[in-house]
Amino acid sequence: MKAFKQAFSVARKDLALELRTKESVNAAGAFSIAILILFSFAFDPFSEAIHELAAGLLWLTFAFAGALVFNRGFARELPNECLDTLLASPLAPSSLLIGKAIGVFFLLLLVEVVSLFVFGVFYNIRWWLHPGELALTCALASWGIAITGSVFGALTVNLRLRELMLPVIIYPLLVPLLVGAIEMTNALLGNQPFTSYEWLWAKVLIVFDIVFTSLAIALAETILVN
Amino acid sequence: MDARNFTFMFYGFAAAWLIVAIYVISLARRGARLKRELENVKQLVQAGHTAREEDIEHRVR
Amino acid sequence: MREKLTIALAAAGGLLLVYDLYQIFLVLPDEAMQGPIYRILFFHVPAAIVGMVGYFVALVLSVLYLSSKDLKWDSLAASVVEVSLVFSLVNIVSGSIWARVIWGIWWTWDARLTSALVGILIFLAYLMLRRAIDEPTQRGRLSAALCIFGCVDEVIVWKSIEWFRTQHPGPVLSIRTGGGHMDPAMERIFYLNFLAILLIATALVLIRTRQEATTREIDSLRRLAHAM
Repeated sequence: MKAFKQAFSVARKDLALELRTKESVNAAGAFSIAILILFSFAFDPFSEAIHELAAGLLWLTFAFAGALVFNRGFARELPNECLDTLLASPLAPSSLLIGKAIGVFFLLLLVEVVSLFVFGVFYNIRWWLHPGELALTCALASWGIAITGSVFGALTVNLRLRELMLPVIIYPLLVPLLVGAIEMTNALLGNQPFTSYEWLWAKVLIVFDIVFTSLAIALAETILVN
Repeated sequence: MDARNFTFMFYGFAAAWLIVAIYVISLARRGARLKRELENVKQLVQAGHTAREEDIEHRVR
Repeated sequence: MREKLTIALAAAGGLLLVYDLYQIFLVLPDEAMQGPIYRILFFHVPAAIVGMVGYFVALVLSVLYLSSKDLKWDSLAASVVEVSLVFSLVNIVSGSIWARVIWGIWWTWDARLTSALVGILIFLAYLMLRRAIDEPTQRGRLSAALCIFGCVDEVIVWKSIEWFRTQHPGPVLSIRTGGGHMDPAMERIFYLNFLAILLIATALVLIRTRQEATTREIDSLRRLAHAM
């Protein structure tokens, strides 16, 4: 219980900081809009085929925009030795990691909501027809991106080649998650409710989230404490 | 069709062993390089030792 | 002692391989459906299993490193991953050549092929991460963590042919199906060839580990030279 409280206080600190400066949300939002515009030139946005590509476009955008958010998560703590101070405080390393992931999770959701509106306008796609299922998909996939991003953001934070190593590690690990999210979103954008096939992918996402979160908690000390 | 089936079987085996062979060659080259480096560093340490001994002898005198 | 063991393993693997190749090409008949190309299976599948077993061994070694902080385990894990990657590559390339004949395409994005490719990318990232870190204990710690996460994908590779409907053939070995999918004579050679490839892979790991030890020796001598 105490661990949760600690995690939430870390998340609250991060979100407050972010709301004051808006540095990564602004960057991620601008980036995803730019990508959506570029994609509209790569494919004809009003052809029928766009319905089959849309989910993929959307999740690629979220995954790349997400990198801008979780990249900052731990890197933000580097100046003034904030990270060392946090680790020296009574805070458990796993709470710090989970707290960072919670912060990233909410920022990701924010970026996703903004891009969905832009996406709906630019591509003439009605994405709001199954709000419950869409929210579930976004929540499950965003948590997976947030926890993986935070773990490897923490892992690479002290490296010389941080910006290079993070995407090389993270995207292969996220493939199962992103495939699942794309399959689920595909059905929703085509205005079809979930069948057993999509629910199977929902289960894959849940298992992914549970496994990666457990590993993150188990390995937090290894990753963070020198 | 059958002829292609047969040739592709050989391509498959050739490719598989080519990859292993390339790895073994790279392993051997890396081994040789490490050996050279080890010799160099050993010499460096040796030289350092002698230099230091000479220095001590010099000071004693 | 260690050198002798390496040579003995490689020699045993080599001899067994010669026997297996003789059996595979000159004794076993063509398969009824696929023709001669099915023989790729004798290398494709053992290479896959050796690679995958290697990643799980590296997982155990990583955990051993994290609990003992002994760099011996770390360099062993790195060696195992490197050799496993070579055999995973053999697996994918030989499978692709087989697919060109049987499916008519080099590649398809089913769960098995995709997860196997992703596995290669993850463990390539593992080797890149090791190169990016100079300090040995930090390198051991962080790469061990990545190895543990990477093995989640290897579980997917292993189980994907049961969980999903893949274009890739389902399990054929009798230990997984209970028998009836593969001729016993073929299966015997399959296991013998698996053993041969395993012996060769182990010999390669031993050579690689020896090199890691040399690298550590060079580093410590360098520090000594600097101190003087």
